[in-house]
Amino acid sequence: MKLLIMPNSIKQVNELLENIDGIIVGLDKLCINMPYNFSLDEINELITICNENDKEIFISLNKNMFNKDLDYLKEILLTLDSKNITGIFYYDIAIVNMKEELNLKVDLVWNQEHLTTNYLTSNFWNEHGAAYTALSSEITLDEVKEIKKNAKAKLMFTAFGYLPMFVSRRHLVKNYLDTFNLKDNSKINYITKEDKVYQIIDTVDGTIAYSDKVLNAISEVSSLDIDYIILNSFSIPNDIFKDVTHMFKNVNSANKEEYKEKIDSMLDTYLGFLYKETIYKVKKND
Amino acid sequence: MIKKPELLAPAGDLERLKIALLYGADAVYIGGPAFGLRANAINFTLDDIKEGCEFAHKLNKRVHVTVNIVLHNKEIDGLIKYLKDLEEAGVDAVIISDPAIMKIAKENTNLEIHISTQASTLNTEAVKFWKKFGASRVVLGRETSKDDIKEIMDNVDIEIEAFIHGAMCSSYSGRCVLSNFFTGRDANRGGCAQICRWDFDLLDENKNHLKGEKEFTFCTKDLSELKYIPDMIDLGISSFKIEGRMRSIYYIATVVGIYRKVIDEYCNDKENYTYNSDYEKILRAVANRDSISQFFLGNYGKECQYYNGRVEVSNQDFLGIVLAYDENTKVATIEQRNYFKLGDEVEFFGPNLETFTYKVEEIIDEDGNNIDIVRHPKQVVKMRVDTKLYPNDMMRIKNVLTK
Repeated sequence: MKLLIMPNSIKQVNELLENIDGIIVGLDKLCINMPYNFSLDEINELITICNENDKEIFISLNKNMFNKDLDYLKEILLTLDSKNITGIFYYDIAIVNMKEELNLKVDLVWNQEHLTTNYLTSNFWNEHGAAYTALSSEITLDEVKEIKKNAKAKLMFTAFGYLPMFVSRRHLVKNYLDTFNLKDNSKINYITKEDKVYQIIDTVDGTIAYSDKVLNAISEVSSLDIDYIILNSFSIPNDIFKDVTHMFKNVNSANKEEYKEKIDSMLDTYLGFLYKETIYKVKKND
Repeated sequence: MIKKPELLAPAGDLERLKIALLYGADAVYIGGPAFGLRANAINFTLDDIKEGCEFAHKLNKRVHVTVNIVLHNKEIDGLIKYLKDLEEAGVDAVIISDPAIMKIAKENTNLEIHISTQASTLNTEAVKFWKKFGASRVVLGRETSKDDIKEIMDNVDIEIEAFIHGAMCSSYSGRCVLSNFFTGRDANRGGCAQICRWDFDLLDENKNHLKGEKEFTFCTKDLSELKYIPDMIDLGISSFKIEGRMRSIYYIATVVGIYRKVIDEYCNDKENYTYNSDYEKILRAVANRDSISQFFLGNYGKECQYYNGRVEVSNQDFLGIVLAYDENTKVATIEQRNYFKLGDEVEFFGPNLETFTYKVEEIIDEDGNNIDIVRHPKQVVKMRVDTKLYPNDMMRIKNVLTK
């Protein structure tokens, strides 16, 4: 099992390099929902760092694309295809089509966030160039295991971090402030409901919102047969993320409960949907 | 005459299917017993679907069935049989968002495949992919603008379907799991609990309350493209879709009827077409929330937001539906849908009828007694109406235009 992180800076990558197998980084203007949007220059620097240190590097181009984005997307795909990168995370299937049309050799990662929920669809995208699937965080551990048994792609499992739960093209915070003539320049906002606090961010590409708690699946991963685990640094203090990464790197069946407790003591954590199946039919249709 | 686009209406059950088609829809889309995104609607049984298809085909119209669930492992087994059953029932097309389902449909049936808006298809490259893989139609994401649609249509020869009316998701379709997190109900499997309509407190980065006159919500106004139907027809969009499989027959009849008129008026005589603001008033009267054109014109700013949360106006304009009409006695048999009484001024409207007003002067119940008030749900009464009526014509309050 390899350990990938979604870092928030080049400095953080350098600090954590010895404890990780690779990184997932978002390219500015073509990604959303990432801890930091790196410029192309920064991405190039990160590629060099990873290549020199024998680490894997995945580039996330995971936003919904419009026609206005396609020229730049094509340029970037051609550029990245010429680099030594491990793969490209995609949400929009424009990327799949471009890979096929341009005969790109780079591997893709099916990363449609909440839609990566079964092995059949994973296998479909695998036939179209997705050598990897980044699994949805809204499925149970049993579903993860069943996908692993049947999927052809290498699987990635988010094991730590705040979970994305909403992406809109609309600027919902700005719209609210404008409607009621309120002034605010916060980089991050919060919404609250019944004492729970959720992060909400109005970005240039729209609004995103995250879970109130941090997923901590460290006690699950040591016994999980999966190709990659992902730790997301979004909104996690750097010192804590460093400790967390170290613990995930070294977790085993003997220390997993101790590590779980340590992380739980530092952050407001939970197990997401790993043991909680979502329902979708609340009344019987006759 | 300009080629008319298909007018595609929602139908939550057989009654609504028939009303939608009779009031002018060219096709309906419905949810079957499984694999759709309205798990908590009544939905159709396979027998209902067969009956609906037969009804539609007799009118030379079509039935599309949503199979747009986001698939989980445990649902895989029943898929092939279900898709074959739909084909056998006479369904014209299936609306799919998951390509694995699409692949199964292609390999096991000859069903026409439409890509659901749930797939959030927003650009030319994505549409090319779906076409290459065998889709005959793509329902574009609601975030696409007029220019986006034009560019897609200029570059890919495929049927394009676009929403013209109804509720909007605040998020990109498929990218919202608020319902999962807040209620455990799976938004992408038909369980959406509409958390977007809840009120929240909005805080700044220091966690101070940013308090407006109303609370923060994700919620947006509904969509209405009434004014821009001519632009959409000129673009060559193949199908105009109305949202709302859980809406009432009155809503469906009214909205379908209005868009039918606008499409016909424009396509039949483009040069002399003028926008009829009365249509807008009627649409507004049947809605329970404000509506506005949104991404088509590139608008997704503050005017599109709706800060009244879950407060929705209950519509009681719909008074009754005509079950039968005796031309000899001029007596209409009417099933009540909302309270009305002697002396009320009402309007009759229908697909074959010029809307007219009428004062209720006599009401006779099923036992032949004269009554003053029709207060019981679905009570059947008889009334003399001199103008010829047809089954499925509807009776509403008179002042719809002045509300």
